[in-house]
Amino acid sequence: MLNLQNLHATVGEGDEAKPIINGLSLEVPAGEVHAIMGPNGAGKSTLSYVLTGREGYEVTEGSATLEGEDLLSMEPEERAAKGLFLSFQYPIEIPGVPVMTFVRTAMNAQRKLRGEDEISAPEFIKKAREVGAALNINAEMLKRPLNVGFSGGEKKRLEIFQMMMLEPRFAILDETDSGLDIDALKTVADGVNVLRRSDRGMLVITHYQRLLDYIRPDRVHVLAKGRIVASGGPDLALRLEKEGYDGVLGEPA
Amino acid sequence: MTIADASNPLSNPTIAEKKLFDRCRAMRATNSRTSAFGLFAETGLPHRRMEQWKWTDIRAALTNLETPSIDLAKQTVEVPEGACVLIFDGVAWKLPETLPEGVSAHRQSDATPLKTIEGLPLGQLTASMTGQDSSSDFVSIEISGKVEQPIFLDFASAPAETAFARLAFNILPDCSVRLIEAHSGNAAFSSTLIEFRVQNGASVDRTFVQRASTAQSVGITATAVLEEKASFVQTALGFGGKACRVETHVRFEGAEAHAELNSAYLAGDDHHIDFTSHVTHAAPSCTTRQLTKGAVSKGGRGVFQGKFLVPRSIGQFTDADMQHQALLLEDGAEVFAKPELEIYADDVECAHGNTSGQLDEAALFYMRQRGIPAVEARALLTEAFIVEALQTAHEAVRDQMIDEARNFLRAEG
Repeated sequence: MLNLQNLHATVGEGDEAKPIINGLSLEVPAGEVHAIMGPNGAGKSTLSYVLTGREGYEVTEGSATLEGEDLLSMEPEERAAKGLFLSFQYPIEIPGVPVMTFVRTAMNAQRKLRGEDEISAPEFIKKAREVGAALNINAEMLKRPLNVGFSGGEKKRLEIFQMMMLEPRFAILDETDSGLDIDALKTVADGVNVLRRSDRGMLVITHYQRLLDYIRPDRVHVLAKGRIVASGGPDLALRLEKEGYDGVLGEPA
Repeated sequence: MTIADASNPLSNPTIAEKKLFDRCRAMRATNSRTSAFGLFAETGLPHRRMEQWKWTDIRAALTNLETPSIDLAKQTVEVPEGACVLIFDGVAWKLPETLPEGVSAHRQSDATPLKTIEGLPLGQLTASMTGQDSSSDFVSIEISGKVEQPIFLDFASAPAETAFARLAFNILPDCSVRLIEAHSGNAAFSSTLIEFRVQNGASVDRTFVQRASTAQSVGITATAVLEEKASFVQTALGFGGKACRVETHVRFEGAEAHAELNSAYLAGDDHHIDFTSHVTHAAPSCTTRQLTKGAVSKGGRGVFQGKFLVPRSIGQFTDADMQHQALLLEDGAEVFAKPELEIYADDVECAHGNTSGQLDEAALFYMRQRGIPAVEARALLTEAFIVEALQTAHEAVRDQMIDEARNFLRAEG
């Protein structure tokens, strides 16, 4: 599904460009959820931006494919239409554009790029209601401009709302647990677990093991200095929690 | 004094100014016409060496005042159902056979100079060029009831060098009127003057859309005098033209009156749009709310000049707020802004804000990550930004105006 080979990437323009990803290789097969953990500055968020095509994040070497298709040659919106979704660590406020309008515009734009028909208004509203109910998001909230004046927890729930509406083939969750209290964390994790399917992959980026109690990963990878330095089963996350990154990696990360 | 005498201050006139002078001289000379033309001739066509016109040089734009050769008329807004339509064809107003109850119209066959302490050269020019015996280009309208159906003013002149139109509204106490105006047409230079006298407790709600090609220059001048507890709400959407000036002067003469001036401008390549306003709080406890939002593409030029004047003692308890926010959509877009508060009274609340910048790159990336193409994302963000200034538009045309803005932004993307 998602295949990264010897990926190198820099952040910044021209002389300011700094190498952040240094030979990262990773494969997440369809149907699996992998977690990426790592200390601050390891390159976790950079990886999510590199994969989704943010300006200023330049790949200098290596490859990234989704289902065999080269992601790196595509515009961000094309990657989205191919089914790549990023739940942002810091969701952006979109003034003047209500949540419902935004998600419907996004959904139809993706469908158009894929050559599919638009979703009908009643069908969309029905789906939004169902997904909203599952995430404790009421209709009033969906009428407000996206993320404007929302609390940190509400913003994270709206990220999951968008993910459930858009039904991506591959989702990257960048520190979706940060800023959430335990109830919100459970709600978000439930949303993610509902989406686990044999043809969908996920990459869960997190600082802490806590989220992984609720979203059980198939594999855990440790990212440090821009590359995967250790991989293992769910136990690895528990060991990291107990021993810290230094303990697991055997040297200061 | 003759028109020739009145035009004396016009030393070294341009071709356009000579044409205007000849046209005025061909009209029946009256004292008031001579006086109006004389007031215009004090400055001639406004130009960049005049402080209030430093960014909008009408004289330069009109060097060769020639009839446009092609049909330039662009659709602005459709006439809403049930509206009372007044059409200005470039020469005369065409009124419907029956006017709604509470509306009466009278043709004026003389030029009345604009009584204003502030210079309004395009207003004076229009005053001197209208009120002819031969055509009804100056109509006074009295509103003596609460008129529910909108009055639609369709400025749709035939191809011509110039089109001058004037209207004077007198809204009697506790009466109200709602106007929708479409400013388009095919004149190389069109200048409109609308005066409002809004008496005690009366209200005017004015919505208009301006569109012109890069071969056309436009002046839309309005003055409003508000008496006690009167209300004047104006919502404008302007796309500019070769040089386009929308100038609104409001003067509070009675206590507790209220004005709202909301404008949105969208300037494409080679389009120039100027929103200038002047609000004088010459009465206590009046409120003004002003929001202007603009978006300008490469090669486009937006101008905002706003002034609140609060004289000593008579302007006490003024509450006024002026906001101008502009988006420069691309490199090569220009926005000039001059917000001014001139306050001499000591117990007032006046605020202003002025920003210009670019779309938030983080928001654009966020939208593209969700699958919204860059062009669409830019248009959506810009539209949301602009629409805020159109909230007070007449509900019968508000959606059309938003569509117009959207079409512009999709095309410019």
